[in-house]
Amino acid sequence: MSAWSVWAMATPEPPHGATLGGALEVVALGCIGVAVLGLLLVEFVFKSRMARSTYRWTLLLGLFVLPGVALLGTTGHMFESMKTVEACQSCHVMNPFVGDMHDPRSATLAARHYRSGAIPDKQCYACHTGYGIFGTVEAKRDGLRHWLLYVTDTWKEPITYKGTYPNANCLACHATAPIFTRVDSHKALGTQLANDEMSCFTCHGLPHPARPTRASTRVTASQ
Amino acid sequence: MHLTRRELLHYFGATAATGLLGPGCIGWTREEAIPVDSWHKSVCRFCGSGCETRVGLRAGKVVKVEGLQEGWNRGRLCIKGLLNREILYVSDRAHYPMVRKNGQLERVSWDEALDAAAAGFREAMAQGGPDAVAFYGSGQLFTQESYTANKLFKGGLGTNNVDGNPRLCMASAAFGYKSVFGADEPSGCYDDIEHATLFFVIGANMAECHPVVWERVRDRLRTEPQARVIVVDPRRTPTARDATLHLQIRPGTDVALLNAMAYELLRTGLVDPAFINDFVTFRRGTADSPPLTLEDFRAFLEDYAPEKVANLCGLSSAEIREAARLFGISQAALSFWTMGLNQQTHGVAANRMMMALHLLTGQIGRPGTGPFSLTGQTNAGGGVRDTGSLAHALPAGRVVTKAHDRQDMERLWGLPEGRISPNPGLSAVPLFEAMREGRVRAALVMATNPARSLPNADRYRVGMEKAFLVVSDSIFPTDTARYADVFLPAAMWAEKEGVLSQSERRYHLVEKLVEPPGEARSDLDILVALGERLGHGALLKARTPEAVWDEWRRVSAGTTYDFSGMTYARLKALPGLTWPCPTEQHPGTCRRYVPGEDPLAKKEGRIDFYARPDGRAVVYLSEQGPFRESLTSDYPMTLTTGRRLEHWHTATLTGRIAQLKGIDIDYLEIHPGDAAVMGVKEGELVQVTSARGTVRLKALPSMRVRPGVVFALMHSMEHLVNAATSDYLDPTSAQPEYKLAAVRVERVKEGT
Ligand code: SF4
Repeated sequence: MSAWSVWAMATPEPPHGATLGGALEVVALGCIGVAVLGLLLVEFVFKSRMARSTYRWTLLLGLFVLPGVALLGTTGHMFESMKTVEACQSCHVMNPFVGDMHDPRSATLAARHYRSGAIPDKQCYACHTGYGIFGTVEAKRDGLRHWLLYVTDTWKEPITYKGTYPNANCLACHATAPIFTRVDSHKALGTQLANDEMSCFTCHGLPHPARPTRASTRVTASQ
Repeated sequence: MHLTRRELLHYFGATAATGLLGPGCIGWTREEAIPVDSWHKSVCRFCGSGCETRVGLRAGKVVKVEGLQEGWNRGRLCIKGLLNREILYVSDRAHYPMVRKNGQLERVSWDEALDAAAAGFREAMAQGGPDAVAFYGSGQLFTQESYTANKLFKGGLGTNNVDGNPRLCMASAAFGYKSVFGADEPSGCYDDIEHATLFFVIGANMAECHPVVWERVRDRLRTEPQARVIVVDPRRTPTARDATLHLQIRPGTDVALLNAMAYELLRTGLVDPAFINDFVTFRRGTADSPPLTLEDFRAFLEDYAPEKVANLCGLSSAEIREAARLFGISQAALSFWTMGLNQQTHGVAANRMMMALHLLTGQIGRPGTGPFSLTGQTNAGGGVRDTGSLAHALPAGRVVTKAHDRQDMERLWGLPEGRISPNPGLSAVPLFEAMREGRVRAALVMATNPARSLPNADRYRVGMEKAFLVVSDSIFPTDTARYADVFLPAAMWAEKEGVLSQSERRYHLVEKLVEPPGEARSDLDILVALGERLGHGALLKARTPEAVWDEWRRVSAGTTYDFSGMTYARLKALPGLTWPCPTEQHPGTCRRYVPGEDPLAKKEGRIDFYARPDGRAVVYLSEQGPFRESLTSDYPMTLTTGRRLEHWHTATLTGRIAQLKGIDIDYLEIHPGDAAVMGVKEGELVQVTSARGTVRLKALPSMRVRPGVVFALMHSMEHLVNAATSDYLDPTSAQPEYKLAAVRVERVKEGT
């Protein structure tokens, strides 16, 4: 067996189809590669044969424009890859939640959605981010706060969702489904559900394990 | 303004840092849609599931109700639970006491109203003796209130005419348990759901009537692919949609079906001979009749082979066999039932047979097994059945007909010997009949609306009109309040304090969180004030909810109910506790009769039916018996009644909640084939006529019902469905047969 095939087997299978994060990553890496290679060639091979103005333009391109594009690409890549479940799980505070989501014996909403494949990937992000640019900004702001609490080890147990969960995140997928619209309770509570004055979770169950049954989010020395 | 490039960069940097690290990020959290000042533990006001809640207050008002994550319901509530926050503020809350003067109810002071009530009672007793008065209570009163009413009437006034609406919903289950196990109330708990592999649901539309319990069942189905569900119901209810096998039985033939299943289990050997041998006896009729043998039982069941009863039940014999097979091979079978089984003239027999299936197969006492009846009201179990606030009963499983039990209570209540009458009082329907006949002249009706909820209601309204009626309710007017001679405004739910108990024998404390409207008072205060005026103040020494609870704990000590370990402090601290719970260290019992789990089960072995004198549960030879009301050419169809998710009982509360006003409750489900034969289309008015009365409803052709069966909701506030329902009673439990009435359905011609 060749070393190549061993390496190929060891690496995880790439996701099917192109992803935005993957594309941005390729763009960024491409820009860096082109810039480095271009600069070396221009400086050591083509400099003497180039017009002075062309030389300056290529330097500008290699030193500023391509790195700028690479920066945008890596930032975009970060934004995108941070949406994955693995990225959320990289803080082990999230372990009880992600573990439950992957548990085939769990009946929480997160686990049921995960099992059914209703939200194929980025499930944490899909349910915890509102729609549109403000949703993303809020999520990033939340994320930064969580990160600060995490690195400073100042979060409080049990962790709780602050504020009211927006039903719009559920309704975005469910509101037009007949299974939702034919339920008279949904019609009766339409205004309250739209205004988040009543929560979908109240009737349909908790998205994550109830606080009393949840493992601690803090990793102790014995763990 | 002139900025250098350096200054501009400084400003940019400072703004970014402030934005990132300032309140925009660290201090920022999402907002609450409904701000709350404080949260308090409580319990839902509605059904017998008994969901645990947390109640949010703001500015002295209940503004939010959520499911308690620590509770058995794991944070869930149904729509009614959510709307607990609205019920305190619905229109028509009763604010002032009223007394009937010149035919009209007029506002008076509390003193005047209570004096008038006491005078009416005194006069009735002067004319007809103690049995000329009665108390008609409710599974919605707190335990302390039912207990105090029971004590005042049986111990103070000397009448056993103490009954209530639980007679209409749970009496057959109570008599079933008592006759089979020697003690009332189910043996298991909700935790069994996570262990069951077969759910046998008979006569219960749990998805609508006990929705949060059903969601827990569905959670089990979602996570255990091997779990199966059998639903026995004449309607294709939302519960039946989750069924592996739906037996769309003909109403009122449950005993035949269960006997056929028993026959099949015995025939195929899917029974537990060791369990039968060690823990079961066979009897006929009553628990003290001579014991019979398994062979007698087999011989008795010969008439109930699946082929022989299939036609009667409206099922195929293969369906019955399959149901028995699934039950027999199940590792853990848990059965649920409620009014569908109880509200029949064969209610007790059906209950006994349901329990028998568990006894024959040894499906009891292990996790995930057992017969489990669900209660319809918040506190029918703890408040009424446990405190013995029924005409035949005394607290904690005692009965009025036993001298020893009466003496026990006389001692505990500090009464002279012989004070408690040995004669069972009048149960619900005979009580209102006695009012009609003038034998009962005065009655106190609390927290219930019999003028709408009694079967054949028009007949008994005459009695309410005739008798001196004192009505205490939190809503005015109700149909019953219209007949009141004295009306007393009552506080409800979080406006007063008390204990509620739900289907799994879990006692919960509801704390007083807000003030009642106007001059409304708690029912406990009303009972004490009335007791004082009737000369029994000394008997009612315990006057606060905590004092009454402590007294009731002492009364339970040493009985099969023993919950003396449930102190008020524990009830305040914990979401709830299940009995038996004899010591303050005891965590509460999930599975009764199981040595090692139930502190009262002292024997060794699989199970100890300690409430039975011989330690053995009873399997009864239960006949299906004839229908009390046969279908005739005049009344060729069967009317059956039930509830829907969004409303509750007579809709006294839910009918006043704005959000629920658009939910239709005035329809008659009819099979499309029957509708076509009658030429009735959806939305057209039909008249349902029984031998007792008529009701007009909109037709809703629906495949949910069997041909020949029509279904109406009991909620309708505009139409009295109970004008047509049957007031035939089960001979043992005296529970009426709401689920089965012979009717004629006709299209109403325009202009008639
Ligand atoms: S299931 Fe019953 S107890 Fe639970 S919230 Fe609904 S009505 Fe209340």
